[in-house]
Amino acid sequence: MRSLSSRLLVSVSVLLLLFFGATIAVLDTAFREAGEQARRDILDGHLVALLAAAEPDDQGDLMLPERLREPRFENIGSGLYAELRDTSSAVLWRSRSGLGLEIPIGVAPELGNHLFARESLQDGTPLLTLSLAVEWEFADSSLKSYVFKVAESLDSFNAQVAGFRRQLFGWFAAVALTMLLAFSMLLRGLLKPLRQIETEITDIEEGKRTALSGEFPTELTGVARNMNLLIDSERARSDRYRYTLDNLAHSLKTPLAAMRALLSDRPTDGFGGRFNEQIDRMDEIVRYQLRKPAASVADKLVLKAVPVEKEVTRLVDGLRKVYHDKNPEFEVRVESGLQFRGDTGDFLELAGNLLDNACKWCEKRVRISIVPSVGARAIASGMVLTVSDDGPGIPKDAADALLQRGMRLDESTPGHGIGLAVVKDIARSYGGRLSINKSDLGGAEIMVSIPPIASSA
Amino acid sequence: MRLLVIEDDATLREALVRKLGESGFAVEQAADGKEGLYFALEYPVDLAIIDLGLPEVSGLDIIRQVREKGKSYPILILTARDRWEDKVDGLSAGADDYVVKPFHFEEVSARVNALLRRSGGWASSVLTAGPVALDMSRQELTVNDDAIDLTSFEYKIIEYLMVRAGQVISKAELTDRLYDQDFERDSNVIEVFIGRLRKKMDPDNSLKPIETLRGRGYRFALERNQSG
Repeated sequence: MRSLSSRLLVSVSVLLLLFFGATIAVLDTAFREAGEQARRDILDGHLVALLAAAEPDDQGDLMLPERLREPRFENIGSGLYAELRDTSSAVLWRSRSGLGLEIPIGVAPELGNHLFARESLQDGTPLLTLSLAVEWEFADSSLKSYVFKVAESLDSFNAQVAGFRRQLFGWFAAVALTMLLAFSMLLRGLLKPLRQIETEITDIEEGKRTALSGEFPTELTGVARNMNLLIDSERARSDRYRYTLDNLAHSLKTPLAAMRALLSDRPTDGFGGRFNEQIDRMDEIVRYQLRKPAASVADKLVLKAVPVEKEVTRLVDGLRKVYHDKNPEFEVRVESGLQFRGDTGDFLELAGNLLDNACKWCEKRVRISIVPSVGARAIASGMVLTVSDDGPGIPKDAADALLQRGMRLDESTPGHGIGLAVVKDIARSYGGRLSINKSDLGGAEIMVSIPPIASSA
Repeated sequence: MRLLVIEDDATLREALVRKLGESGFAVEQAADGKEGLYFALEYPVDLAIIDLGLPEVSGLDIIRQVREKGKSYPILILTARDRWEDKVDGLSAGADDYVVKPFHFEEVSARVNALLRRSGGWASSVLTAGPVALDMSRQELTVNDDAIDLTSFEYKIIEYLMVRAGQVISKAELTDRLYDQDFERDSNVIEVFIGRLRKKMDPDNSLKPIETLRGRGYRFALERNQSG
């Protein structure tokens, strides 16, 4: 019941059921009552005809002729019966149609009164009966009481009602289904913009678009506009953060460089040396703080799709220049088309630090491999980034220490520890892990696994 | 060698210029991106040191325009931004190496020497050709392992010629690259210094390290010994 359309469909179904149920009940009752009234009128007509046909016989009793005008009284089992009883309820005459049937006596009406009743034959056939008690004055002025009774089987009537009901249900069911179908189609049309928003947000998360399109119905333009504002402000915030850090870096580090340049004429053992140590410390703190990850998995709307192959190529080309003299052999194994969902700077920081370390430590060979990792409900694949070299490698206990912030394996290669600490921080902010192993090239193998991003929709 | 330093921080720039000058380079300086770009495009430059965070025209733009105009001299970037994104942007734009602020001057000087020697096609910081060996980091010249005592100007000339061993260098280029702008230019002075260098390096005139090509200039004539 969490979906809008299923909620609406259920409510509409309930409403339709109530409405049609009431309609069916009213129609059914009206049909039955009209039908029954018609039956009573017919029975009344038959009774009048019987009265007209009744004649006194030789024995001074009332009798009816051999053949009646109404043929249904003559056919056995026709469903229309008539009888004449005296006050002691003895049957004086019964129509041929009722031959062999026992029509229930029922309650005799007051003299001169009509009485309609529902009775049934022994076999259960329901009957509508009309009885009339009369006092007959014979030619000799004697008076005798009689009860005329006509009965009609309700079988055909009931069948008619049942048929009517079936039709009623059939038609209403068809109408209800058609309405529901039409309604759900209408709903699909109405909810289409909502689905479009959802698709576009997923696209933004996947990095396929940067903002929601403006093509929404009036009711949704506000939502879309606010969503875009939110995305923009998130981006602006992350840009502003970066810009502030850049400015801070520049305005702190240039004076530090100037101080160092001013100190460089002084002997390194005394005052100058101590001053330089402090500059080193300040530099290290600033560097570490400024290289924190720019984005994290939580900022899904800000994440871009970073073309991994292109960035790695740029990095390797750059490092070839920087390590021109050492001239390491780079082996790049990057699945083409692979995209990293995140900040370009963060990706370059991951791959750059690892490659730079590998170039520093390697004898001749550096390998970088990036493969996608996939998961259920993932809208963007994760990646496993492995950088290996054929250098001395990193012993197990040193590897553990290296993963601590600021720890340095070798003071003669400054920044190694900071580089790895930065990689670790970035990996963690993307929900990933860092591990240090022995490479099949002989040296260190550093692996960063970033998990895939699951859809939030 | 003529270097160009583009850095907006006056203290840092002046310190760099002074130290590089002491190391034997002729140094031009620019305090902002606009001036820097003009120098980088119009002046004879052997190597440029460019700060990435410049006013007016950014360091990246200078590098791009320098490379677009077909200038191929090495470029060393100074960056306060330690992120790889900035380093890679600089390197992709056409820079050859980077130094992160705050740096030790020795770091800059080592990178500058390495880039200069690379641009001349040398793999090691000690350039050797036959019995002649020039150690750029120590600024020492030896012939048959005997140290040759050189004045700083003589050193500049032999360094320039040896880095470009095999190439013909005109007198005008030598004066351009070796004097500071305000120096009085006199091509005869070059001839005098070349003569002194020949005497010091090759007293018995058997080696003939420096060749004179009439009307064209000079050439360091000894075969390079790359393995050295």
